[in-house]
Amino acid sequence: MAVLKLEHIYKRYDNSEKKLFKKAKKNDFAVKDLSFECKDGEFIGILGPSGCGKSTTLRMIAGLEQITAGDMYIGDTRINDLLPKDRNIGLAFEDYALYPPLTVYDNLAFNMRAKNIPESEIKEAVERVAGLMKVDDLLEMKPLGLSGGQKQRVNIARALVRRPGLLLLDEPLSHLDGKMRQQLRYEIKRMHHEIKCTTIIVTHDQMEAMSLADRIAIMDFGCLQQIGTPLEVYDDPVNVFVAGFIGEPPMNLLRSAIKAVAGGYMFTFEGSELHVPVPERYNHVVKDGMAVTLGVRPVDVLIAGENEPSGTPIPVAIYEDLGDERRISVRVGENLLNLTTTDQVFYEAGDKITLRFNADKTHLFDIETGNRIRE
Amino acid sequence: MDTKELAKAQSGVKYKKLGHCLGFIGSNLALIVFAIFALFPIIWMVTCSFKSDAEMYNTVFRFTPTMANYHAVLIGTDYFKAFLQNIVVAGGAVLLTVVAGVPAAYGLARYNFKNKEDMAFTILSFKFAPEILVILPVFLIFQKIGLYDTYFGLIWVYQLITMPLLIWVVRGYFEDVSVEIEQAAQLDGYRWYEIFFKILVPLVKPGLVSSALLAFIYAWNSFTFPLILSGFNVQTITITSLRYIASDSVHYGQVAVAATIAILPEIIACLFIQKHLVRGLSFGAVKG
Repeated sequence: MAVLKLEHIYKRYDNSEKKLFKKAKKNDFAVKDLSFECKDGEFIGILGPSGCGKSTTLRMIAGLEQITAGDMYIGDTRINDLLPKDRNIGLAFEDYALYPPLTVYDNLAFNMRAKNIPESEIKEAVERVAGLMKVDDLLEMKPLGLSGGQKQRVNIARALVRRPGLLLLDEPLSHLDGKMRQQLRYEIKRMHHEIKCTTIIVTHDQMEAMSLADRIAIMDFGCLQQIGTPLEVYDDPVNVFVAGFIGEPPMNLLRSAIKAVAGGYMFTFEGSELHVPVPERYNHVVKDGMAVTLGVRPVDVLIAGENEPSGTPIPVAIYEDLGDERRISVRVGENLLNLTTTDQVFYEAGDKITLRFNADKTHLFDIETGNRIRE
Repeated sequence: MDTKELAKAQSGVKYKKLGHCLGFIGSNLALIVFAIFALFPIIWMVTCSFKSDAEMYNTVFRFTPTMANYHAVLIGTDYFKAFLQNIVVAGGAVLLTVVAGVPAAYGLARYNFKNKEDMAFTILSFKFAPEILVILPVFLIFQKIGLYDTYFGLIWVYQLITMPLLIWVVRGYFEDVSVEIEQAAQLDGYRWYEIFFKILVPLVKPGLVSSALLAFIYAWNSFTFPLILSGFNVQTITITSLRYIASDSVHYGQVAVAATIAILPEIIACLFIQKHLVRGLSFGAVKG
């Protein structure tokens, strides 16, 4: 059990291509001014596209990368200069990194053998984690004969056998196929439930982060964009990046010009007839002619009823019936505005519908900075 | 289905079986022929070693076996001494190659440094040049610094022919080992040398063993270097075998005895690590 604290962490990789007589160009920061704290027993997901610095962050926590600047604490101990083995962490590597010549049992026991722990205790500990990760019937096998899911389970078990204060999982599900992924996700959740170990998972799959983590830290270009519970980042994104990254199907993000009309404002879109009323709560932050990025999730685009205040009817461009939900897209200029609904509505391409947005779930973003415009 | 058709079908199966059998015999026959073809030089050499000089030139396999050649070589000359010295020189060369080459291969596989590829290629290029090309300057230098006709001198110069292969093969193996395995062991609390010997060396073993064996064969068979760089103190069997060629006559029987005994260590070593040999050299190369 441990509390992890990151304070203004920076990371810059050295430029390896040094030229003689020429000063090497400095690389950009891979991680910039990263601060967050994990509470004891918390499950944190670090989420971001590839190259955003999330794995680098994890490797810095593990001690496999030097920290360029900033402080990192586990509990009250500053761990910047601590060796990986002294940090009391368990790390499950992305591509398993099991020791090929050893059996699963020996792989799990490898760590304790380094510490000269008596063989009976090792056996007990191996059996404990093997039961926890359901690899007890694989103990005699060599890693080469295991499937991807089994390898990853052994990999996580190996991280757990150290009884770590902090468990780090580096993209544990990314090499697995769909069904196995779901199953292992469930196993990880159950494992965390049982041992309540502070856990950090790095992933680029928002579904994984949303379903596993207590809180999600979203990173892009080395910067922390937002950290919050899955619901917070879903319902209250701080900028366009978070809004677009979280959610499946993704949020509609459309460039819109505000137009004043009698009794309020309307969203208008270049090259489109579509007009949609601006929720009243934005009335004091928008003005006529202002350009914004409008963000609204497909589930929050609604088909207006007969006598609701609404904009212009617009033809349906694509209609898909997926059984449990229906997806409708309308053309807005060069883009598509998507909506999904579980209502039993049936259209054909070309049918006209009137749209309105769920007022509470309509987000405005600054067109320059991408930051949220709050009411 | 009537009985006629059934019989036809059954005979078809029979023919199929027969064809299978013939194919089996045929392929084995072909392999036996090839094995004889490949082993023929060795068979010829062994028979020569038992022939007397008078019968040396007949090509039918009918002769009166004699041990005279063996007696002449093993008792009459200091062949045995040369054999031992050859083991020392070739074994020493392989040992030095492994001790220096494995870390070099690791460095070339893992670390990025300036001119890394150039350096790797330079090492490989030592094998490109014929030995005769460099032998004269090496001879002069060795005489000046007192390495002429010493064990260490030969072991050192043998590195030119043993080291490049080992470094390149083992480097490929190291590149195949994921860095994360090392990092995992690091997290497990092992020191770098423990990681190296407990994790890495077992993983590169097939490549290491097979390239070490080839290095041994290169060193064992080397002719040019010991011919020029050694004299009376250190003799290798490749040079000693020359002695049976006198100015007036050539004792082919004795040469054959010398050669037969000389290939023994290589054959024994090959048989022992046959398993690693094919896998070791092909595996790493294909994967790397």
